Amino acid sequence: MGRLLLIYRLVAGDVRRRPVQSALLLVVIATTATTLALGLALRHVAQNPFARTRAATKGPDVVFEGQLRAGDHRTVTAGALWKVPGVAAVGGPFPLAFVRLTDPGIDVAVNAEGRTSAPAAINQPLVTAGQWVLRGGAVIEEGLAGALGLHVGDRIHLRGQSFRVAGIALQTEQAFYPASSSGLVWVTPGDAARLASRSDRLGYGVDVKLANPAATDAFFNSPAAMNALPGTVIGKSWQSIQKDDYRVVTIDQKAMLIGGWLLAMLAIASIAVVVGGRMTEQTRRVGLLKAVGATPRLVAVVLLAENLLLALAGAVVGLLGAWLLAPSLSDPGRGLLGTPPAPPLTLTSVAEVALAAMAVAMAATIVPAVRGARMSTIRALNDPARPPHRRPRLIAVSARLPVPLLLGVRLVARRTRRTVLASVSLAIAVTMVVAAITLQQEVDVREQGHNAIALTGLLNSNSVGGRATHVVWILGAVLVVLAGITVIFTTWATVIDAQRPTALARALGATPRQVSAGLTTAQLLAGVVAACIGIPAGLGLYQLAGGSVAKANPSIVLLIAVLPCTLVAVGLFTFLPARAGARRSVADALRSE
Amino acid sequence: MGGVVELERVGPLQGYKLRIVQEVLLALLAKEASHGYQLQARLALALGPLGGALNAGHVYVTLGRLEKAGLVCARRVGQADRPDRKVYELTAAGRERVHEWLADTSWPKPAPAEFHLKLVAAAAAGLADPVRLIDEQRGELLRGLREAQRAALAEPAGSVAGLLLEGVVLRLQADLRWLEECARYWNATKG
Amino acid sequence: MSAQALCKEYGKGAGLVRAVHGVTLEVELGESVAVVGPSGCGKSTLLYLLGGLERPTSGSVRLRDSSLERLPEAQLARLRRRDLGFVFQAFHLVDELTAVENVELPALLAGASPHAARVRARELLERVGLADRASHLPSGLSGGQQQRVAIARALANEPLVVFADEPTGNLDSAATTEVLRLFEELHANGQTLVVVTHDERIAATADRLISMRDGAFVDETKLTGGSSRRLSAMTGLEV
Repeated sequence: MGRLLLIYRLVAGDVRRRPVQSALLLVVIATTATTLALGLALRHVAQNPFARTRAATKGPDVVFEGQLRAGDHRTVTAGALWKVPGVAAVGGPFPLAFVRLTDPGIDVAVNAEGRTSAPAAINQPLVTAGQWVLRGGAVIEEGLAGALGLHVGDRIHLRGQSFRVAGIALQTEQAFYPASSSGLVWVTPGDAARLASRSDRLGYGVDVKLANPAATDAFFNSPAAMNALPGTVIGKSWQSIQKDDYRVVTIDQKAMLIGGWLLAMLAIASIAVVVGGRMTEQTRRVGLLKAVGATPRLVAVVLLAENLLLALAGAVVGLLGAWLLAPSLSDPGRGLLGTPPAPPLTLTSVAEVALAAMAVAMAATIVPAVRGARMSTIRALNDPARPPHRRPRLIAVSARLPVPLLLGVRLVARRTRRTVLASVSLAIAVTMVVAAITLQQEVDVREQGHNAIALTGLLNSNSVGGRATHVVWILGAVLVVLAGITVIFTTWATVIDAQRPTALARALGATPRQVSAGLTTAQLLAGVVAACIGIPAGLGLYQLAGGSVAKANPSIVLLIAVLPCTLVAVGLFTFLPARAGARRSVADALRSE
Repeated sequence: MGGVVELERVGPLQGYKLRIVQEVLLALLAKEASHGYQLQARLALALGPLGGALNAGHVYVTLGRLEKAGLVCARRVGQADRPDRKVYELTAAGRERVHEWLADTSWPKPAPAEFHLKLVAAAAAGLADPVRLIDEQRGELLRGLREAQRAALAEPAGSVAGLLLEGVVLRLQADLRWLEECARYWNATKG
Repeated sequence: MSAQALCKEYGKGAGLVRAVHGVTLEVELGESVAVVGPSGCGKSTLLYLLGGLERPTSGSVRLRDSSLERLPEAQLARLRRRDLGFVFQAFHLVDELTAVENVELPALLAGASPHAARVRARELLERVGLADRASHLPSGLSGGQQQRVAIARALANEPLVVFADEPTGNLDSAATTEVLRLFEELHANGQTLVVVTHDERIAATADRLISMRDGAFVDETKLTGGSSRRLSAMTGLEV
């Protein structure tokens, strides 16, 4: 029992003595845990839910959408279709009205399909909430309901007419909103006719089931099929609907996969910086503990306990953050059966994150403990874990520079590995930001292109792109925050590590402002390198991920502007630690007693 | 046995006379016979600045005593254009005495009893403030240290006299440290 | 330079520590002053107060016409750069710079051209007798040599006053002699020195010796004056 108390005291004392360092370590681990948890939560792949939805709703193999010319009021029949070879069944025609769903703050184009309450033989949407159509009531497609936040009982307006949301249903006759640019609602045939009569276009929908569901291409190639229906007709196969559905999911998933990898890389770089910073002082602590008589095992236990404590605390905070953030990265699989919005934190993902945190703690402990156990006590006390590097050319060059740059370059030259790690972290963040910018540009281009064309019901990438950019920007923001924290930590580690040389510089006549400028410059130099690597890397990453840089045509000015923006951001993150570092007591650092 | 050169109190009216320790001269003669002035030169070389007040007279006086004690014997040597000079050399007894002296390991007194008693007496009788006495003595010793140090620095590297000066410096340093302890003690007793 | 009623306290209430308490001191140009006392008596703190490396809790420090305690940090830095030189017990040489790079550092910080700084650094190393070790790193120099480099560095900008905090604290006897020699030379050349030490040999090089105990001045001794006669008296040679 006494042993435990001793360990507790040693650990608590150390954490209290270095509050800033411990806090920073905790924050880095927390952010890493958040990203890890988010990555795990979003990892679930839609397990071919389209097929399940199709089976559950008796989905059609081919869907026709027709428009009659204004004034054309003939009744539409689908009799001709029955005669086309390969056709097993035909559903409809159902009246189709092209209206806008409005509400305060909403304005979306929807197809209002008239359906009877009697179930159809093919393409009967599956009601997941509320009930099927009734007079004055509309059933909303699941994706649309989710995107607009509509629930059973809400009031909506279709072309000014008020409807009550009677229910929400799944379907596979068109891609779910926003994979499809217009949403889908079902109303009674009478309501549909009334809605349609106000416009000058009458529409209708026809569903076809084939004897061989795979033979959609052959079906489309037969002239009999294409001429069977009046008016302007567009036909879609179930395969193309599935493709459009999955496109949304795939893009989101691709974005998150890439984002997840970048986050993992950045997390590793940050942890490396933090662990590296701690190893120096931990080696010395090992020596101290040994010198006062602790056995190597006790020493290892103390170190492990301290690191574990911080790592677990960080993991808890991180998981909390993930739990809060996950809703904003909405589930890409909505609208497809079988993919209920997955709870962001399953027990397994929590366990995985906790394990990762403990692995970090172990890694951070093993090296100093082993070194300390093997090294003689005297050496552990006296020698720093790594003496600073000497780079004669950098030193010679820095002599010609003004004082802040002189100090900055020399600080960079001292600890090359740390500077490289900081550059890597920043480069990763810059890469993501550049990819986000490029994606945004491509989406904007397409948006502009599409506004010139009337909505035809074809999928346009606007909404898809919008979702993906949303995801990418959020991930980019998380990366920037993590990189920023790494910068703060690197600056503080530099302050601690270089406290004697900086105190000396101040004793020899450098003003505090010059010193803090030097500390900032050291980070800015890392930022310059990071931007130079990150900008082309971001473009390359975007190209690799399946985007098209040429189409996006990001403006050169914008790309080049990333460099000064990076520097400004780095400067902001470094400002406070550098200032604090430059104002520490000179006498305390130089005193020998 | 005192220092190399000792003050001999020969009487209140006669002041102090120098007396070179006899064994030193015997030892210097062990290698070969020498003239008096040669011995003096070698002594001066070994003592450096500290040998400033030493002159031939002191050497000859001591040689005379040694001759009387039968430890050296003197020969007259005729010289062409100068008066005769004496050459001194060791006798057997002298040589034996030298070996005894070399084997002897006694060391000059390390205890500064005189000053210690001075302080005790002054404090007991209320004659003077011990702390003041210490301060004044310290000043003296420091001045002496300064001189000795300067002289030591002025010596060329590897000079044998420099070694002696180093010894003076180190002893004065030790004495000063002891005075610091005294000051602490007598301050505490006073206060 | 002069100090009036200098006072420096740390902590509060029961934990109050009076490192320096009511110290008044004057140093003339060209003078060499040694501050001695037991360890923990506040001599290093006094030195840092005089050199502007710490701010006094109360009292004033004047150098020529400037009051150090009123100057902002930046100006203090500039004043140190111009007029003051420091030598520390732990040498505080930058580990990854060679001797000459260490010595040229103050000049570079003061804005001198790299060439001029390098030339002056070589001159100073020559002066302290380490011209042949100019491209050695501190790890390749002995303790005495490192301290001599530190002294050369302190002289880089031709300071008015050189402050030394226990310059021989980490040195053995032989290295102490090297440093001693240098201090004597500096003093002979008219450099103003303020040295804090508990080594009597260093103290003996000064003109004036000030004793401190528990943060206050206790005693002052003048060491100038004296002749070789005294040397002989020490060894008992008196005719």
